[in-house]
Amino acid sequence: MPSPNHQEPAARYMDNVAIALSVLYQFGTNGAFLLLSALGLIVILGMMNIINLAHGELMMMGAYVATTAVQRGVPFPLAVLVAFIAIAIFGAIFERLVVRRFYGRELGALVVTWGISLILSQGSLLVFGPFMPSIQIPGGSISVGLYSFSEYWLALITVAIVVVFGLWWLYNHTTFGLQARATMQNAAMARALGVNTDRVYMLTFSLGAGLAGFSGALLAPTTSIMPFMGQQFVAPAFITVVVGGATNVITGALGSSILLSLVRTPIGFLFGSFLGLVALLLAALIIIRLMPDGISAWLQRYLDRWSRIRISA
Amino acid sequence: MSRLWKLLSGPEDIGQSAWFWVGFAALIIFFLYYPAVITEFEASSISYYLLNIPLALGLCLLWGYAGVLSFGQVAYFGIAGYVYGVVAGNMIGNPWGPLVGSIAGLTASAIIAAIFGYFVFYARVQMWIAPILTLVFTLLLETFLGQTAGYQWRIGSVQLGGYNGMTGIPSFQLGKLVFFGYSFYYYVLIVVLICFLACRMLVSSRHGHVLLAIREDPVRTELFGYDIRARQLVIFVIAAVLAGISGLLYVQWGNYITPTQVGLLQAALPVIWVAVGGRDSLIAVAITTYLLNWLTYALSSAGNQYALVIIGALLVCVMLFFPKGIIVTLARELPRRGWRSAFTER
Repeated sequence: MPSPNHQEPAARYMDNVAIALSVLYQFGTNGAFLLLSALGLIVILGMMNIINLAHGELMMMGAYVATTAVQRGVPFPLAVLVAFIAIAIFGAIFERLVVRRFYGRELGALVVTWGISLILSQGSLLVFGPFMPSIQIPGGSISVGLYSFSEYWLALITVAIVVVFGLWWLYNHTTFGLQARATMQNAAMARALGVNTDRVYMLTFSLGAGLAGFSGALLAPTTSIMPFMGQQFVAPAFITVVVGGATNVITGALGSSILLSLVRTPIGFLFGSFLGLVALLLAALIIIRLMPDGISAWLQRYLDRWSRIRISA
Repeated sequence: MSRLWKLLSGPEDIGQSAWFWVGFAALIIFFLYYPAVITEFEASSISYYLLNIPLALGLCLLWGYAGVLSFGQVAYFGIAGYVYGVVAGNMIGNPWGPLVGSIAGLTASAIIAAIFGYFVFYARVQMWIAPILTLVFTLLLETFLGQTAGYQWRIGSVQLGGYNGMTGIPSFQLGKLVFFGYSFYYYVLIVVLICFLACRMLVSSRHGHVLLAIREDPVRTELFGYDIRARQLVIFVIAAVLAGISGLLYVQWGNYITPTQVGLLQAALPVIWVAVGGRDSLIAVAITTYLLNWLTYALSSAGNQYALVIIGALLVCVMLFFPKGIIVTLARELPRRGWRSAFTER
């Protein structure tokens, strides 16, 4: 590698591209991490106005399922799918037995899901022990100039975008999505029009839980597999959800993870990952002061105005 | 005098009858005489069960009376404990050091709660945001305290100590009177009793009535001309100070504190104590706090690994079958509504 002072113009240009790519990559990985850890939570919140405090533990279970499957020789993508299905089924049962009784009582739901999270994390500590050998990060790395990028994280960014697009399609182009949005806006009216809101609630909770398991499985190779691993996801996930708000799942999740990754990336890069997290909390406190119902309510107002203008034109 | 009595015996908590106060007095007398028949070690364990009560009372005021749930009360517990450790630890040798440390600890808790509460309550956020943000706050505090290992994390002569925690924190003393063993037991008993009676007077006062009104209907209360944001902020600070009192008593009891005291598991415990007893009764919360601390201690000292699973399961069962709390259901709902309907939420 030639010293920077005597570089050819082309090489210098390549270096600038590499720096730009690296910054973009950092933003991308932070955003994808926030988006993946918050998606399941925000789907449930948007629908039922319930925060699922067992979210971190559902991610932990997803990671355990995927890791166990990979160790049994299942290919990684299939293992992630297995985790999604397994946790979605668990979520459906969880909703039927417990969460269903707490609709309309937000604080009660918070507390009961916390009790469940305590049981799940302590229980898995007793059943699986304090550690589990983690799986290797699939894929290699691409290097551009001085920087190298993990293929796996690039794949995760893509997957996060695909999942958001998939959710958008699900909510806007399927019967389930139509019924879900109707239930979200006015449950009593939806019931009167023949929507089985009970079923919608169960499926939404199951979808949210499945997404948590899915994200847990995807993030499993990047971290160590422990009963309390969920804890590292919950703080960023909760902040993302608080900033995003519950008015619109897609804009909330997307807007707030982009905004927060813009906060976290430079501060985390300059001052370390802990202060990056602190910056997230401070950003959340300031953002809710400005937009109490989150960024999604704020964006929704503009979207509504825009659609009104289009209709009148 | 009758005004004071009205405040102490208001209808906002269980127990207005003469029999209740006779029982209460008997309980106090029992606790006063109890050390005569137990060892110093047992008295110290009982001090531990008692010292958690202010923390729970603070959450009870917040959640049960003001309708604001906080998962981060242990953060203020930890802040007061750590600040006491730093201040009193730097004043070792000075007979009034622990008192200065205590005041500093409570002040720190109150100031941080006021700043944090300002952002949360003045934003007029939805109900679920306060618990989430308080939880995130305590998680960050744990992470921060956990990475303070090493010599550079030293304030004066006191090391914060990372995950090993801060050790050698001085016991409480007033002048030449040092509190440990039996005398610490009486000190805790008196502090807890004062906290309890003060909370009881608070909920029966005008301010307490406004809090109840906010819990029942924030919009209507605001239309009556009350600034609900300020009221919620004030009660949040009071709860933080109560949590701080528990934190002080804790470090004065064990002479150490670790970041796990502000971690996720510890954060769950006050919520469990309050939910199991019944969030809208101070006396119920005080009783369950004592009993559940005893239960946790008994389970874990018997080598039972399932202690936290059992406590978690207890919380889930209570939320499912006694949504108003076990003691409140038994004492308030049962006589009024009979067996059938007492177990369902209105």
